Amino acid sequence: MTTTALPVVPAGTPPAPPRAGRGRAGLGERTIPYLLLAPAVVTMLVLLGWPAVQVIAISFRRLDLGELVRGEVVWVGLDNYRAVLADPEVWTVTLRTVVFTASVVAATVIGGLLLALLMRHIAAGVRVAVQICLVLAWATPILATTTVFQWIFDQQYGILNKTLVKLGFDSFAGYSWFSSGASTLTVVGLLIVWQAMPFVCFTIYAGLLTAPKELYEAASMDGASGWQTFSTVSWPVIRPLVTLATFLSLIWDFKVMAQVWAIRQGGPDGESTTLPVLLYLKGIAGRHFGVASAIAVLMILVLLVLSIRYLQLLLRSKEGDLS
Amino acid sequence: MKRVALNTIGVIVAVLFAFPTYWMLTSAFKPSGDLLTPDYDLIPLSVTFDNFVSAFTQPGFTVHLTNSLIVTLGAVACSLVAGVLAAFPLARLRFRGRRGFLLLVLIAQMAPLEALFIPMFLLMQDAGLLNQLPSLLLVYFAITLPFTVWTLRGFVQGIPYELEEAGMVDGLSRFGAFRRIVLPLLGPGLVATSVFAFITAWNEFLYALVFMRDSDKQTLPVWLSTFRSVFGTDWGAIMAASVLYALPALVFFLIVQRKLVAGATAGALKG
Repeated sequence: MTTTALPVVPAGTPPAPPRAGRGRAGLGERTIPYLLLAPAVVTMLVLLGWPAVQVIAISFRRLDLGELVRGEVVWVGLDNYRAVLADPEVWTVTLRTVVFTASVVAATVIGGLLLALLMRHIAAGVRVAVQICLVLAWATPILATTTVFQWIFDQQYGILNKTLVKLGFDSFAGYSWFSSGASTLTVVGLLIVWQAMPFVCFTIYAGLLTAPKELYEAASMDGASGWQTFSTVSWPVIRPLVTLATFLSLIWDFKVMAQVWAIRQGGPDGESTTLPVLLYLKGIAGRHFGVASAIAVLMILVLLVLSIRYLQLLLRSKEGDLS
Repeated sequence: MKRVALNTIGVIVAVLFAFPTYWMLTSAFKPSGDLLTPDYDLIPLSVTFDNFVSAFTQPGFTVHLTNSLIVTLGAVACSLVAGVLAAFPLARLRFRGRRGFLLLVLIAQMAPLEALFIPMFLLMQDAGLLNQLPSLLLVYFAITLPFTVWTLRGFVQGIPYELEEAGMVDGLSRFGAFRRIVLPLLGPGLVATSVFAFITAWNEFLYALVFMRDSDKQTLPVWLSTFRSVFGTDWGAIMAASVLYALPALVFFLIVQRKLVAGATAGALKG
């Protein structure tokens, strides 16, 4: 942190006076902004920046339990990366994670968009009811949600199987939703979509409300169809929000860990293991810190690409105003 | 006709989204005899508090609750102090590096914490903090800080600068004016921000799982995730414990949910 400061002046939106304080621009006054920022900067650098540097460093070291206990630093170059890229399990898990993320994000964004459009066209009373229920889903803590989903999907007494049997699907009597990786991940995916859709829906709906009423009136006077009104009036307004929500969902869902772990710890037999779970199993449970860090770095690279694009979009929108 | 159809879809959507929460609540109040039956019972016939009693008297529940409260409230307090200190210069002063710092905050907000737990684990081990509540408190502080700084800066910017100017004309110093005029007006902003931070820390699972190896140091969410070994198939008690865990977050969330949508794309709040 440098202490060579420009004169300190307020940055309020109204034209600010040339200098804060009472005309003394002593060294003390010029360092004040930095002193006030120091706790936040130090915290972020030590607890977020340092681990980010360390994860890269560790990915080039052999660091298993032995090295950790002996305090050895063994540099192995790209060995960890070679091992990771040659590991078929990593590829299977990566492919699974990509497919899982893509499906969850697609379902969340398309569902949220449709729901936002629906909210414009329903009676006010129903809309309030929908909003309250969406907030409930959004607000329930993840771990409370995972327990109740496991109860709903319970093999013997779960309400879902009971309902399906009542509707005539007798094969669901005693059906186990957690016996295969694909169906376990389907339940996890449903859970994530259920919890993530309200955010996307509210964001898009808030955008829809900013579209000028006159445009809708003009469209309906010109006899535009529902689709034409959507594509010419609504879509231009909400497109930036839909893009932002998509990127945010991609970033969130690619690294989602709590739900997958809490439901079946990546089981049965590792079939629902995603990348973050693999990271935990190799790193913390297996104590192969070096190899796990290499996986983490590869994950971060993917997230980095997504995040940079997201930040670009955000800075272009009003929300990310840096002034 | 089309309107009726759309409203019907709306109602169905509402029911689908409310159902899990509804089911958690009603199961928590059902006598255990009514839970493990093949009967079809969407509406509870009788109500009992037994499940809450058995959740509460479960060995460890109060310990985990206390752990969760300590790390969450501690992190929120740290975050607010550091956040207010940073928000003031960011909103009111112009100095070199301001934009750079704001960018740092945005980047920190995007930090892929799910990929950083290995160096964090080693860092805490070196610091001798593994298995200690302060390790979690520190990490939750770091997780909630960027968001807190960003939001509080917005709230400070929303307070007219003229008020401080008037105060300074009346003889208050720069910081006297901030303390006496801005800080009191910042009340609602502080409440909203601390609620966001509370929910984030209260929900956090991964770091609690990684850092806390002893069961008596675990937080509520990690303890809940091991419910099968704690409760067996006592679903009533599991749901009661989930309700008790969800309640503070739900209540707080409902208080501030209007503000969430507005700032949501900037300060990603999600578990």
